[in-house]
Amino acid sequence: MTTSDQKLDKSVMDRRSFFRAGGGVAVSAAAAVLPAQEAAAAEAPDERTKARYKETDHVKAYYRVNRY
Amino acid sequence: MARMKFLCDADRCIECNACVTACKNEHEVPWGINRRRVVTINDGKPGERSVSMACMHCTDAPCAAVCPVSCFYTTADAVVLHSKDLCIGCGYCFYACPFGAPQYPRVGNFGSRGKMDKCTYCAGGPEDDFSTAEYEKYGRNRLAEGKLPLCAEMCSTKSLLAGDGDIIASIYKERVMKRGYGSGAWGWKTAYKETVSV
Repeated sequence: MTTSDQKLDKSVMDRRSFFRAGGGVAVSAAAAVLPAQEAAAAEAPDERTKARYKETDHVKAYYRVNRY
Repeated sequence: MARMKFLCDADRCIECNACVTACKNEHEVPWGINRRRVVTINDGKPGERSVSMACMHCTDAPCAAVCPVSCFYTTADAVVLHSKDLCIGCGYCFYACPFGAPQYPRVGNFGSRGKMDKCTYCAGGPEDDFSTAEYEKYGRNRLAEGKLPLCAEMCSTKSLLAGDGDIIASIYKERVMKRGYGSGAWGWKTAYKETVSV
């Protein structure tokens, strides 16, 4: 291989550096996506244990008909 | 603060299994899992009794006590829920539960278990209320919609009661007083003998 060929190879980017760069991009993309998904999915501890039961008209009707 | 409870009036249950079907449909429960089931003793004989069973949302839940990854939590309504993200499917809760409530999907052909699944009292899970993730993992969140568990709401004989423990206890007491005989609760005669009436 001549000196000019070696110069050409370096300017194009060889196979190993191509995959190294690709891997780096994939990892940084995953790191950017993951925290966003977690934030969307999980509730805060206080929020998830808060009372959800409400004595709505629907619930009152249920209690009423169960007294028959 | 209201404490959510289930109460099955065994004198009224006719083993129609509508509660089981309603639960499976409402939450799109996976194949092979029953969050609720109807147990019948002395089937076909005099004195036959049926009772609808699911997670009873224990105050001091044994499942939570044995869980190695602490995936259980109790809400302010006294509903025992769990996180499927934390669950490792070890099966300890199944052995600890006196009601056989925890269920496991079969995820392979060699006995491997998936994440535990159980009755959520129609109260969803740790994900945001009404989110797709919550529905896919735990089913519908009827409690946050201002409703009660569907199994109890659609019970044809009004056998299965759900809601505020104080209110359903008073409803049950009214029924017993009107009937004028025993409580109908399992174990009553064992505990209080035949001679003791209500």
